Parts: sequence; structure tokens; C-alpha cells
Amino acid sequence: MDDDELLSRHYPVEENMRMQQRVWRFERAGWWCLVLMVVLALLGLFGNGPLSDATAISTDGRVQVEYQRLSRSGTTDNLRITVRGTSAEPVMVLLGGSLLREASIETLQPEPQASLSQGKALLLQLGTSRDGVATLYLTLRSEHVGTLEGVVRAGPSSTVRFSTFLYP
Amino acid sequence: MDSILRAAAMYVALMLLFRVAGRRSLADLTTFDFVLLLIIGEATQQALLGEDFSFTNAILVIATLIVLDVGLSLAKLNAKPLARLLDGHATLVVEQGRFLHSRMRRARLTEDDILESARDSQGIERVEQIKFAIVERNGKISIIAQE
Repeated sequence: MDDDELLSRHYPVEENMRMQQRVWRFERAGWWCLVLMVVLALLGLFGNGPLSDATAISTDGRVQVEYQRLSRSGTTDNLRITVRGTSAEPVMVLLGGSLLREASIETLQPEPQASLSQGKALLLQLGTSRDGVATLYLTLRSEHVGTLEGVVRAGPSSTVRFSTFLYP
Repeated sequence: MDSILRAAAMYVALMLLFRVAGRRSLADLTTFDFVLLLIIGEATQQALLGEDFSFTNAILVIATLIVLDVGLSLAKLNAKPLARLLDGHATLVVEQGRFLHSRMRRARLTEDDILESARDSQGIERVEQIKFAIVERNGKISIIAQE
């Protein structure tokens, strides 16, 4: 910048060019921060993107949960649970954890054959397809802010734990 | 209680965002700027009110915003450095008929912007006729003509 233009004028207004330069630098840095925020949001830092989409699989591989690692309070999230059982035999799936307690289940597809409560958790009986796979689609909404844990269990060694962080 | 916190958080967030946008951004409101402002208002509204559309909630939110705004201006009255920090300084961009180009560049101003203001407020035709042009703290351009 021109040296003369950097000098503070005192007439007709009292200037403080050092301060003014700091303001300009702040504006420029702030703009880059906003650009970064937009790019990260596109990547899914605030939900619904590659950074946020996640899949958790139980140790024996029978239960698979597709969930959002990051989400926002008050929005609906999709949760897909796939359970491998024996052909044409119903499987029992236990849904628990703070996520399923705090969040309200807006939709549950397909309708389970039976739905029971077990302590604070939810026990569902699902019908399987011919190849022995049961899939459950859930839509969840929570007003909670912070981390919520979900547990899906379909047997002693078929447990999936996952957690979702909800932005305000 | 959370509507108060929401309003306060939104006030601070908007203040930061508009500080980044700079004082010029919405100074001379074009039609498009006006539409943009409306959209910003729409985007803010949901987060401010949440699910609660009651009269009480609306009054609480408005009261919080006014308390913060008046409180801040009172604080500025008592602390000059704070006022300087939040409002900034007026900046000269034309001096004795001469553009101060690097200042204009930082302030995202073109020669046309200044000449437009000069025509609009003083009926000035050329930059030589301007004694001083000043970007005020609110982003408006003041023109003082040569005698």
C-alpha cells in the first residue's frame, strides 16, 4: 500500500489507519473463513455429506447401520438398519441408547411384526426376505444438542454402537 | 429461556457476519440487496423462533434484541475504544481531487461508486471538483466539494 495513503489524516475527519487496516484484514480473513465454512458444509461437516455419512457393522457382520455422524438439532435424519438372519424366519432387533430415547421416531418402515419395550430400549420383531435379510428404515428427529449414542442389537455378538453429534 | 439465548446468539452471530461483510455491503441498497436482506431475514426467523409461534415468544425475542442493541449503544457511550472497535472510523478516499486508490481497493470501492455519490449528492461532474470524499462509519460516501 502507498505509504502516503497509510498515514492517518486529521482533517476533515480523524482517522486511525492502523486500526482501519486491521479492520480490512479482519474482513478479508473473515471472508476466507466463510468460504471455508461453505466448502466444509458442502463436504458434510454440518450433516448430509461425505464427512457425515457413516456405516457401522457389528463384529460378526450380521448387523449394519447407516447413519449420520453429524447432524443438526431439529432436523430429520435417516437411519437404515440391515440385519442378516435365517431365511423366512423373523429376527429380533433391539434399539437402544440415548439416540433412540431422546429422538422421536417419525417414521418406521416397514412396520415391524411386533414391537415391545425392554427396559428403556425398543424390541422389534422384523420379517426377513427370502435371502434372510431384514431392512428397517427409520426417520429420527431430535431437539437435543450434543452427542447421542445409538445401540442396535440382534444377538449376543451382533451389536452395533454408533454416535451422532447434533449441532444447535 | 432458550428463546432468549437463541436471540442473543443470533444477535452476536449476525453482528460478526455483517462485520465481515464490511460497512459498504448494504449501504446503498439496490433492489437486489433489498431482496438479499429479506432472504437473510427469512433464514434467521426460523432459528430465532424455533417451533414456538406464540405471542409471548415473539415479544421475548424482540425484547432481547432491543435490550442487547440499546445496551451496546450505552456501552459505546461510556467506552470510546469499544465504540471505535465496533463502529470503526471514517476513511478518506478522495483528497483534493485525487483518488486514494489503495484505500479504495481495500474498501471495495470503485471510482464510479464515488463519482455516482458525488453526482447524486452535490451534482459534481469530475473528480477534480471533489475536495474530500469520505466513507462514513455506516458505509455511506460523503462528498465535500471544492470551493
